[in-house]
Amino acid sequence: MAGPDWLTSTRVAVVAGKGGVGSSTVAAAYALAAAREGANVLFVAVDGRPGMGPLLGGRELDSNDRILRKVKGAGQVRGRTIPADQAFGDYMELKGVGGMLRRAASAASLPMIAAATPGLEHLLVLGKIKELERDRSADLIIVDAPPAGHAAPFLRSATGLSDVVQSGPVREQSVEVDEMLRDPARCQAMIVTLPEETPVTEALELGNELRGDIGLSLLPAVVNSCWPDRSGLDKTPAMAARSHKITLSATAKAALASSTDFGRARLERQRSQIERLGSGIGVPLVALPRLATPRLTLHHLGELADALVGPLIGDAS
Amino acid sequence: MTSTVAESFRDAVATSELLVTCGPGGVGKTTTAAALGVAAALAGRRVVVVTVDPARRLADALGLEVGAAADAPHRVTGIPGLSDSKSKKSRGASESGGELWALMLDAASTFDRLVHEQTANSKQAAAILENPVYRAISGSLAGAQEYMAIERLHQLYTSGEWDLVIVDTPPSRHAIDLLEAPDRLIGFLSHPVYRALTVGQRAFAKVTNAAASMFLWAVRRLAGPQIVEDTVEFFRSLANIEPGLRKRAKEVSVLLRSDVASFIVVSSPRAEAIGEAEHLIGALRDGSFPFAGVVVNLIHPMPEPLTAADRVALDDLDEGPLADQVAWHDELTELATAERDEIAGLADVAEDVIVVELPLLAVDVHDVDGLVGLAEQLAADA
Repeated sequence: MAGPDWLTSTRVAVVAGKGGVGSSTVAAAYALAAAREGANVLFVAVDGRPGMGPLLGGRELDSNDRILRKVKGAGQVRGRTIPADQAFGDYMELKGVGGMLRRAASAASLPMIAAATPGLEHLLVLGKIKELERDRSADLIIVDAPPAGHAAPFLRSATGLSDVVQSGPVREQSVEVDEMLRDPARCQAMIVTLPEETPVTEALELGNELRGDIGLSLLPAVVNSCWPDRSGLDKTPAMAARSHKITLSATAKAALASSTDFGRARLERQRSQIERLGSGIGVPLVALPRLATPRLTLHHLGELADALVGPLIGDAS
Repeated sequence: MTSTVAESFRDAVATSELLVTCGPGGVGKTTTAAALGVAAALAGRRVVVVTVDPARRLADALGLEVGAAADAPHRVTGIPGLSDSKSKKSRGASESGGELWALMLDAASTFDRLVHEQTANSKQAAAILENPVYRAISGSLAGAQEYMAIERLHQLYTSGEWDLVIVDTPPSRHAIDLLEAPDRLIGFLSHPVYRALTVGQRAFAKVTNAAASMFLWAVRRLAGPQIVEDTVEFFRSLANIEPGLRKRAKEVSVLLRSDVASFIVVSSPRAEAIGEAEHLIGALRDGSFPFAGVVVNLIHPMPEPLTAADRVALDDLDEGPLADQVAWHDELTELATAERDEIAGLADVAEDVIVVELPLLAVDVHDVDGLVGLAEQLAADA
């Protein structure tokens, strides 16, 4: 089965969302879904959050590019982190600064230079991603962006730095990263949120920032942790039982009511928040199921990857 | 329905002078901090809550506007049982006399205030404040937000205007960021390159120290020549306030470990959040910070169980509304059970401190009434 067009429509996909919405998990599911379609995928964790490598079926991520998982008869998922100090060293090398001097300069001065040049660490990491994209080191690079409201500053580092820095390689680097971010064939962003009031409001704001200030194009937005939309919850247990021609005991009625009342209220909110997001964000949505576990495994990730390539909500075509 | 308030923070809100809430993002940390503020105000105290990045509707409920204007404390109005007026005369007999104030941290203006306070005169302050490098970094220096949260806490605490200062910290994956912020600033000021650049008042062209020259060379090479002069200027002017910064960092470090302070870790029952909360508890204990307890938010309700007989009756249903309801009942039970296992694990790590469990409410808390409800649960009578 062919996956949706959007799945491999760009070479760098930046997955972003506020803290707690599960954007890292969605990024991992995206990597798996693309690998199942035959893509050679590189998963880049900017923040190096623990557990992502094992979730994808491999070792804990570090700065070495390693294969995490091969999909039989299809593609693979590789993974790595990009620590700012390593990106700095690589950058010096690229600019022809070699050997001892490079090591000394990067060891002694990165914190100082970064302090003097705000956003530099972010820019170095984005610059490294740009190099990986330019070298075609993978069919698709999935960037698990920093969480907790830092996604926009991370991506804005390219444009922000030009206010302070008017010449030199940092300037060049920020111009080149900016070009990549503005070209939808090279880079797009996927916004992840939850079907709840505050996260939806924040997703709408993030969408405006990424599109407006940074010039990124958006992939379908993901509504994570959606309850399955069970229409049966709209009825009382007694009503539901009647349509099955069953009579419920008092204890069964009470037990089912205790979960149904809660579920009905959650579903109503979920529907209205998905509608609000869909009408405001300007791209189609994908709903991912809420899994009945607090601890995700490889198996769960497969379920999420299946759902990710499912039908889009609000797709005009 | 499932709220099992074993103990509460009643004593902490009644006696602490500093409360710090910390934990991962997306777990209702800011809401918890605000609700603790409501509880303390209702207990008759004059409270200020420092928020970092409140969701829009919570900010509205607290009367906060976005931007630097919100950096000054605003009175929170509309709390039943509290006077809305500054005038003591207007207090009704039934009112507790407590007051709730809130502000939104603005890292840049806190840094500006610190510079003004630590410089000898306005000319010295202006030299720093007008430096382009300072202007660019004051909001974004690594860890600046964490440090400024702590700095603001110190300013408010030492002003003597407040019975209780509550600080909501930036969500932190690297939980110890906040606690290490003062030490990190000192580390920065002790960096050999920084030292070399700020010793004496020679023009930057004459810097002879090898590490410092390499630093300047690297900056010039990377970011162009213009920024070099500004950088050196900035570091030199920073040297004027350095002793003050060091002293402050030390004071804050002592204050946060004293018995007037209490740290409360906020989490949700999701495994990632629990993992971060456990890590944070370890960091608080390692750093000898007074750790008062844990709030676990957003817990799913446990449905009443189906009896064995009912199970049999509900077996093999055809598709339809009742099958939906049974499937949902099972799913919610499974999730609620798993969450309770996670919480039990966290309670083991937390050992003998207070653990308050709060249910996932049917509605987000984003108004004063919601905060009052939450406050009652956080500070319930033991």
